[in-house]
Amino acid sequence: MKVKLRYPHEAASKPVLAEVILKTGLLINILEAKLTPKEGEMIIDIATQGPALKSALEYLKAAGLEVTELHSLVELDRGLCISCGACISPCPARAIRFDENLDIEIDVKRCVGCGICVRTCPRKAIQLI
Amino acid sequence: MSEERGKEELRTCEEINEKIRRGDAIVMTAEEFIGFVEQSGLEKAAKEVDIVTTGTFGAMCSSGAFLNFGHSEPPIKMVRCWLNDVPAYKGLAAVDAYLGATAMSETRPFEYGGGHVIEDLVSGKEVELRAESYGTDCYPRRSLETTITLDDLNQAYLYNPRNAYQRYNAATNSSDRTLYTYMGTLLPRYGNVTFSGSGQLSPLYKDLNLETIGFGTRIFLGGGVGYVVGEGTQHKPQSGFATIAVKGDLRGMSAEYLKGAVFHKYGTTLYVGVGIPIPIINMRVAATAALKDEDIPVDILDYSVPSRDRPVVKRSNYAELKSGKVVIGDKEVPSSPLSSIKVARKIAETLKRWIESKEFFIQRPIELLPNYREFKPLKIKKREVTVGDIMMPLKDLVLAKPNDDIKKVAKMIVEKNIDHVPIVNEEGVLVGIVTTWDLTRALAEDKKTLQEIMTRYVITAKESERVDEVAKRMAEYHISGLPVVDDVMRVKGLITSDDISRKLVGRRGL
Repeated sequence: MKVKLRYPHEAASKPVLAEVILKTGLLINILEAKLTPKEGEMIIDIATQGPALKSALEYLKAAGLEVTELHSLVELDRGLCISCGACISPCPARAIRFDENLDIEIDVKRCVGCGICVRTCPRKAIQLI
Repeated sequence: MSEERGKEELRTCEEINEKIRRGDAIVMTAEEFIGFVEQSGLEKAAKEVDIVTTGTFGAMCSSGAFLNFGHSEPPIKMVRCWLNDVPAYKGLAAVDAYLGATAMSETRPFEYGGGHVIEDLVSGKEVELRAESYGTDCYPRRSLETTITLDDLNQAYLYNPRNAYQRYNAATNSSDRTLYTYMGTLLPRYGNVTFSGSGQLSPLYKDLNLETIGFGTRIFLGGGVGYVVGEGTQHKPQSGFATIAVKGDLRGMSAEYLKGAVFHKYGTTLYVGVGIPIPIINMRVAATAALKDEDIPVDILDYSVPSRDRPVVKRSNYAELKSGKVVIGDKEVPSSPLSSIKVARKIAETLKRWIESKEFFIQRPIELLPNYREFKPLKIKKREVTVGDIMMPLKDLVLAKPNDDIKKVAKMIVEKNIDHVPIVNEEGVLVGIVTTWDLTRALAEDKKTLQEIMTRYVITAKESERVDEVAKRMAEYHISGLPVVDDVMRVKGLITSDDISRKLVGRRGL
């Protein structure tokens, strides 16, 4: 599950993520991080689901972070998309493919939100959320 | 074959049109025809099928529209004009203009361009028109600002000097950085392959010898009806790169098949939908109409080589490219199209439906297109300034060895007033570089020899390179000086941004 964390001022200097990892033993992958000593934002991927995920999220919230579960990192506007496929091969996460109707399909589980497809799309049909 | 080309041996165009009128013409899309040939053989398929429909929907930069705005009161001889801030070519009569697909908005460049204006016009949207003039006795007005729609114009027709390439080379990138090209985003170190064209649906490939597609052929263009008006620019039919020029009334076209587009860091363009009916007039036409993706060769070129003659990395074909992965060396590389195969298929099906419902009749060309054209390069006749012309030559250079003492080198730098010291081995081969900044750092960190602080991965230049290319490289890597080396990396000189700015002033066309 990909999760967006917002660090308010009070939590920005604490090693919250390290604590969660030590406490839960979960594998957490940092996909994106913009942190300053004052505040910050981070997108992480927690490699679990169910109760284990829930307790990890609870812990993050208890530490004072704002937690948003991300079901998708990008949004495709099908009204603009022309199914050209220009976004497929540049995707480093191999998250984009044609479905059987040759429509573009983005696998939210694989997507890391890098934004290459956003720049690549000739129709500007993809947006980062 | 030349005198045979276009010979109507199996059926004539009149016979086909008569069948369309009666409602019993047999029409198949190129993909259906391939299936039928596989099942029943070429002979039977050629005998039964009258027309094979094709389609392609890709970025076609040589596209644009001729527009006539009508005369204002008082009238104006527009010298410059803009549509939604996109400049249109005004070297024509007072209120005629040509709006090119790659012209970019002056306020929103790399975002909105001529292709988008065409899409907006065809969608029925209002477009802002702005024009300027010097005023004449016959056209006194000097400026105007208004809005127009497609319906307001006297004439608005798409006139594309080059569309529908028979096939097109694919692209990859061997370099260490991501490239943003008209072939899309190319990841470093052969990270991906992009390709263009619809392969087995490609209109001009399905009539490979150009026996039925020529001047006057009626076609599907942008969702409406258009015509082939001659060979396209860069027409090179002898190697499978034939192109066509096309024309059609924008009124009657659909924004579904004319889409403005942007290629990141390249610019704007227009996706154009083209579909051509191929009358199966003889066995040769039947055979080329039945060609499959795997029969259509595509060279994959290395776009990191900044030359018009890019090296071929691999000869592939549309079947491999469309499969989504291509093997290059021992690596499986993801591949994806830039043209929409989905829309290409839809165009072939739409054209088939038009013919079956007697809305569209075929037109025999009044003249065939040439089947050979020399493809000439542009020669640069003025000598261009090269690195060798302005570099500091070897004899004036300060060089050092990896185990030289830092203090000694610092002293040389002060004496000679220079910023860069290339480091070479016994053979004079470049092994590193130090700059004044590196030496400052060495002092701060108390380092003793050059090899502790030198940069080992050195960006270099060649004597024969053009200065503007090297300047671009300096900007790209944020550096101010490059050692100039020969083919075996022996140092020949040094070029700095200082040399470029000082020595090039007042030296045009050396």
